[in-house]
Amino acid sequence: MKSSFDLSFLDRTLRTTAIVFLIMLPFGIYYFGVFPTLAAYSGGIWGMINLIFISALVRSAIRPDGADKNRAIVLSLIKFPLLYSSGYFLLTVEKFSAIHLLIGFSATMVVLVLKAAGRLMLHLDEKEVEQGKLGKVH
Amino acid sequence: MDYQAMLAWALPMGVGLAAVGSGLGLGRAVGSAMEAIGRQPEASGKIQTAMIIGAALIEALTIYALVVFFILSGKIGS
Repeated sequence: MKSSFDLSFLDRTLRTTAIVFLIMLPFGIYYFGVFPTLAAYSGGIWGMINLIFISALVRSAIRPDGADKNRAIVLSLIKFPLLYSSGYFLLTVEKFSAIHLLIGFSATMVVLVLKAAGRLMLHLDEKEVEQGKLGKVH
Repeated sequence: MDYQAMLAWALPMGVGLAAVGSGLGLGRAVGSAMEAIGRQPEASGKIQTAMIIGAALIEALTIYALVVFFILSGKIGS
């Protein structure tokens, strides 16, 4: 099983977050109701899309072989006006509480931090260095 | 100065401070990442991943400040 701390780590984080959301769906609807759950899901999906855009923006703008300027500009034009205005729209929906939106948005961050903390506690990166997965270190 | 006036004064100041703080933090993160990639291009994947996580968390904190602004701004003038 591949589990290195490269760019696929973010894809795995998004996948884990989606699985967590799917598992929590029936419990959320049963215990908190439809609209709070829907708000948390909207916040969560918004957070996941935001992370995808941050990741794509960094991958296109910060590279050893020079930035892909056109791609970075297109991503910026989508992320900053469109994604943030959709976030504002979600905050203005009367049936959605801002707290529930925040809970959903935070889920991605929680998964991200827990996965990174798990790697740290299990010393996975050190083991990879020992196994020579990182290649030659200067 | 009453509670409403203090809230109306403090909310935009708080969001502004959060934005300035996150801007400074992101600037440092990106600058350090560029420097690290320049020194060790073969580790760019790991550096980018760490930077993306840092950027996401910094941005999340600013978004929290903005949402708190929206929550508390409804209390101004009520």
